[in-house]
Amino acid sequence: MLKKRLIFTLLYDSGQFMLSRNFRLQKVGSLHWLHTNYNFSLISFSIDELIVLDVTRGEKKPDDFCATLKQLTEGCFVPITAGGGVCTIEAARNLLRSGADKVVVNSALYENSGFISELASEFGQQCVVASMDVKSTPDGICQIWSKCGSSCLPGSASNWIEQVTQNGVGELYLNSMNQDGTGQGYDLSLLDLLPSNMSKPVILAGGVGNATHLAAGLADPRVDAVATAHLFNFVGDGLKKARQALILAGVELPLWDVQLLEQRLGTKRGCGVDLD
Amino acid sequence: MNKPNVTLIDYGMGNLWSVLSGLRYLGCNPLISLDPDEIVKADSLILPGVGSFRRAMIALKQQGLDQAIIEAVKTKGSKILGICLGMQLMGSSSSEDGDTAGLCLIPGEVGKFTSHEIGTNKIPHIGFDSVCSQSDAKLFKGIQQTADFYFVHSYRMLPTGLNSKVATCSYGIEFLAAYEQENIFATQFHPEKSQTNGLMLLKNFLAL
Repeated sequence: MLKKRLIFTLLYDSGQFMLSRNFRLQKVGSLHWLHTNYNFSLISFSIDELIVLDVTRGEKKPDDFCATLKQLTEGCFVPITAGGGVCTIEAARNLLRSGADKVVVNSALYENSGFISELASEFGQQCVVASMDVKSTPDGICQIWSKCGSSCLPGSASNWIEQVTQNGVGELYLNSMNQDGTGQGYDLSLLDLLPSNMSKPVILAGGVGNATHLAAGLADPRVDAVATAHLFNFVGDGLKKARQALILAGVELPLWDVQLLEQRLGTKRGCGVDLD
Repeated sequence: MNKPNVTLIDYGMGNLWSVLSGLRYLGCNPLISLDPDEIVKADSLILPGVGSFRRAMIALKQQGLDQAIIEAVKTKGSKILGICLGMQLMGSSSSEDGDTAGLCLIPGEVGKFTSHEIGTNKIPHIGFDSVCSQSDAKLFKGIQQTADFYFVHSYRMLPTGLNSKVATCSYGIEFLAAYEQENIFATQFHPEKSQTNGLMLLKNFLAL
């Protein structure tokens, strides 16, 4: 049976990893910090997929981002998805050459649908993840925002979602701007915006603070995967504990023997692990 | 430390970096090559691949790699592991993008999942799924007989003519998840993306 997925999202801005709250960013630390304070390779054995987004608000430096991605993903044996401002085939190719298996697109979804088709024909639909940021007004009207949540699109969110998911993308990453970084749990009402015949996997994001929130997302049959970008809540052994709690609660997550690695991971990364 | 020799075939369609990262983790320092002479000489080959069958076969042929692989495997008896599209390329043909002939190392054709076969399941088949392997499967030594591996594909080897059923997966319909026959090995899933289950499998291949 196809398993559900637990995804960790890392937000990158100009060489630093960030915490986001309602799309306002706060610096947490560099890749060096991440490696020094946490054994990221070990953390990655508690997730089913890693998403790394370049959310740099000023001028992006794609080469630096790709170099970080390459370093980050050595020793991660899960699918890697990367993106942030991708609007050319070349930019996508560079990410795929730097360790990514899939590419996230956001603003280009609304500005250039021809580009999305081009991406799908070049790398396959399974390679294209549509990230859509949704914000609801106090009276419950949902709208899509692009350009890192700075520009509101005219028209209803459900129309945009239907249009985007019919256009050559492999998956949908549905993020709540209202819940983003609050730690108060997912906005499950976003799932009502999905077309009834949704044929693409759905990743729900925005608002997770603990394992119970992850479980609530995974319990909805419309959700294929849940994501959290809450670096502080989950970076230590948070993901490991959350995963264990989910599995104990009967959530169908993939299983593998982590101890096999933990027993040997005291040695330097990349020096070879004897799995006997 | 024992460093097994393995050559990764670089024809521009693989997720080379991921496979390389997995092999390095296992203490192996692979040769990455697009040189037919080096490939003919290699004792152990890995054929990765992501993308379209037709494009991949064109890329292999343009660089003379198809004949080099066939010679190494068929004539010299070198072992080979095909991963995902790499497995499919080792089949006799695929219906992706119109009929295209493959490397004919595995006697099976490649076809798309149809909605008739898989029911309400989504295409592509994407994510970790359970693989059931036979107890004597060499690639699965030390791995539980039902274990999770990461898949991402819309096509798979059709059962007709296949001479091995070493591991299967079920996605509405049962299909071949891995293949073993003498020196020829292949997986439809990505061992380099399948956590410790996949690392064990790669280690088993290297040790053969």
